[in-house]
Amino acid sequence: MNARERILAAAVGQIASEGIDGVRIARIAMEARVSPALVHYHFATRDALLAEALEYSYGHAGQARISAGDTLPQSSHAARLQSMIEACLPTSESLRQDWVLWVELWLRAARNPELRPVAEELYARLHAWFAKEIAAGVAEREFARCDPDEVADSALALLDGYGIRTLIGDPSIPLERARRAVSRALAQALGLTGEQLHDTRAA
Amino acid sequence: MSPRPKVEHLRKPQIIAAAADVLYERGLFDTRIGDIAERAGTSSPTILYYFESKDRLLEEAVDHTDRDFYERLTEGQARREGAVEKLVHLIEETSLGPGGLSDWTLWMEMWVRARRDPAVRDTYFRLDRRQRKLIADIVREGQATGQFDGKVDAHDFALALSGLMDGLGVQVTLGQPDVTAERMVERCLALASAALGCELRPSAAAVRRGARR
Repeated sequence: MNARERILAAAVGQIASEGIDGVRIARIAMEARVSPALVHYHFATRDALLAEALEYSYGHAGQARISAGDTLPQSSHAARLQSMIEACLPTSESLRQDWVLWVELWLRAARNPELRPVAEELYARLHAWFAKEIAAGVAEREFARCDPDEVADSALALLDGYGIRTLIGDPSIPLERARRAVSRALAQALGLTGEQLHDTRAA
Repeated sequence: MSPRPKVEHLRKPQIIAAAADVLYERGLFDTRIGDIAERAGTSSPTILYYFESKDRLLEEAVDHTDRDFYERLTEGQARREGAVEKLVHLIEETSLGPGGLSDWTLWMEMWVRARRDPAVRDTYFRLDRRQRKLIADIVREGQATGQFDGKVDAHDFALALSGLMDGLGVQVTLGQPDVTAERMVERCLALASAALGCELRPSAAAVRRGARR
């Protein structure tokens, strides 16, 4: 890992545990084994740091997710969609970390228009990912006819809404409930039963 | 220690309202106690007298803003007849109403703080559950009159609708292209219609509002 990557990796960890506002440049520098001056050189502001850390974290986990979609063993579009749902909920430690940064981005982008393009780009990527899979399923008649963009919109919104509740740890919404609920809603839109989508999940 | 101020019951609501405004404008991190003091027309020590920390201020500010919204919502609900009207009203008021959308920034502050602060987390759960219960009650009313599918679990639906509103609300607040408040209403009505087996359409008032925007 070069210095910039070490800084980003350290930043991701700190933002995830302290929040972007709780981040201390000096600690990131120490963890990355660089000088604070170098950190400042790469990231002039906290917002810049958050944006890049998110790109980095998402870029690794996210891009890996998206490209792994092409190599997933599942043969059906339903199965692939279920894996995609899995990848978009806080279902692992590294996904939880992504999620924390994602929520911090929402908060800061709400007030700072300069961060909105970052959010826009990430949403656009996710949207395209889902819409493509749904369109393919419709084309192959695995799914009922629908507007892939509309269904993708709703899927992403549901994933955000359920995801935030499981991230915060609402005891009435364990991860399994979130999974089933999103699967069910998506299945309904695609003319499948909830079980047809959810049961494709690899054990 | 100085004696307890005698006008406590007057000061606190004033301070909370000022705090809500400043928090909304600047966010928790960039809000100084002094900013709130200035807005409330009082001093920093007074602010600190009532609130031990910014997190407590955030909770109260969210509570206050939400209470305003909730009062307006329940007033509007009381004037609606039947489950269909009530559900449409709830969706529209949340998506289009004044204070409905701007509250998402305060909700986002809460989401971020809730991970680290148990008291903020509890406040969030309390407010979220109250909204979900309101939705579930409307669903059960509709099921009792046969307007909504009786097989639907009211709690599951309430959670799904709340989740969808939050997800879309974030996107509207962030100014995502294509995700306007009107589209948010459309998507929520579509989810509700599909889930409840009943066609829900926007109210005439909302259509007029939309035309004016």
